[in-house]
Amino acid sequence: MIDLQGYGPSLLAGAWVTVQLAVLAQLLAIMLGLLTATAKMSRSTPLRWIATLYTTVIRGVPDIVLMMLLFFGGQIGINMVTDWLYESYGFDVFVNVDEFTAGVITIGFIFGAYMGETFRGAFMAVDAGQVEAGRAYGMSDWKVFKRIRFPLMMRHALPGLGNNWMVLLKTTALVSVIGLVDMVRVASEAAKATHEPFTFLLPVAAGYLLIATVSEWGLARLKVRYNTGFGEASAWNN
Amino acid sequence: MTMNSPATESTSSEVLPLEVRNITKSFGTNQVLKGLSLEARKGDVITLIGASGSGKSTFLRCMNLLEQPDGGDILVHGEQIGFKNTRRGREPTDWRQVERMRARLSMVFQSFNLWSHMTLLENVIEAPIHVLGKPKKEAIAHARSLLDRVGLLERADYYPAQMSGGQQQRGAIARALAMEPEVMLFDEPTSALDPELVGDVLKVMRDLAEEGRTMVVVTHEMSFARDVSSQVIYLHQGLVEESGKPADVLENPQSERLKQFLAPKY
Repeated sequence: MIDLQGYGPSLLAGAWVTVQLAVLAQLLAIMLGLLTATAKMSRSTPLRWIATLYTTVIRGVPDIVLMMLLFFGGQIGINMVTDWLYESYGFDVFVNVDEFTAGVITIGFIFGAYMGETFRGAFMAVDAGQVEAGRAYGMSDWKVFKRIRFPLMMRHALPGLGNNWMVLLKTTALVSVIGLVDMVRVASEAAKATHEPFTFLLPVAAGYLLIATVSEWGLARLKVRYNTGFGEASAWNN
Repeated sequence: MTMNSPATESTSSEVLPLEVRNITKSFGTNQVLKGLSLEARKGDVITLIGASGSGKSTFLRCMNLLEQPDGGDILVHGEQIGFKNTRRGREPTDWRQVERMRARLSMVFQSFNLWSHMTLLENVIEAPIHVLGKPKKEAIAHARSLLDRVGLLERADYYPAQMSGGQQQRGAIARALAMEPEVMLFDEPTSALDPELVGDVLKVMRDLAEEGRTMVVVTHEMSFARDVSSQVIYLHQGLVEESGKPADVLENPQSERLKQFLAPKY
């Protein structure tokens, strides 16, 4: 057994931060992705334009650059707004975005762009006749979305969503650059202190692998759920 | 209320389930409907026939606004759909009115369009519960009796992908009936079916006609048009070329075009 030299609890706490960060960022990415996909398919030219700008910029700039830009730039931006509020109106507000929130927002914002493309393709793959049937039976746009378009779309989106999740999970390792104490940060500090990098990096690698494996199981469950009526999920998967 | 309002002119039993007047529709510069009207009285079975491109399906789809007509009036049980002109063209004033109206006009599609992520039973109870607000228990009981009626009760828990085209279409008819519609709209309901499956679907439709359902049917099935309809409308290039009792229109066509259309092809 590897001797973690007392860093075990910190590593576990770091792993928990990683899981929370990844799950919350993924939820934000899903919401932004749905909004982006809807905007890209909308009849409004400005909305389509904004969505295209968002996905083009995000997908064209490295994650770590974006993360530092959004984290440091975001804080500077917020400070400018609060300074202006103080000078103009005398409101003394102090907003300090903590590293965890900043990490969730940044990663969610980056992966929202990828999810947007995944969802857009998936929405376009939905049989138009079934959507039309919903409208023909008196459903409002929202009901058609909730009852028909979304569940049918998810079947097509799940493979892409699964890939996105795996990449997102590993991208959370980058938050250590903005000072968040996740699993990677704990391990690298322990490695520096003890001069035993492998003792800490191997458990970290195993930790990511474990989270990924559990996710695969969850994704398989989701596939079964959204593939009802389309034959066995495994048949479609292979 | 004025003396000339329809309500004072006729008794309530004479309110037309569906009336459309002077519908026009263009796709780009191509005008596909050039002013079409139709009056469905209670129990009428109106069949729309014509070559492909004559506008019969587009006309039917304008009746429940799956296509937006450029002009004309639509009245469902005497209630007129309101329209306004916008930058994008003519649009309904109140989409909720359109949704209410659509719920009273069930449509049966050429490609069935059953919701593939729901079982047959779930398909049939979906709109009664989520649009009409029917209690679930009641909706299920009604759905089961309708599935029994179209001969699919034992298929209630099957998904559409597990059924033949003919079964799917009969299921789609049960879904339409579950809305207890004012008028049923059929858009070429047998055109996507293998020949040996057409008979079962037509049988169900004949039964519906016999029990006095009001139906508007776009079809290529001339025997159905001849035996079942109260009125046949022959469309050509977005206009009514001939219209009347099936015996007159189909047995004694006046125009050359309709004669050719009805002539045996082989």
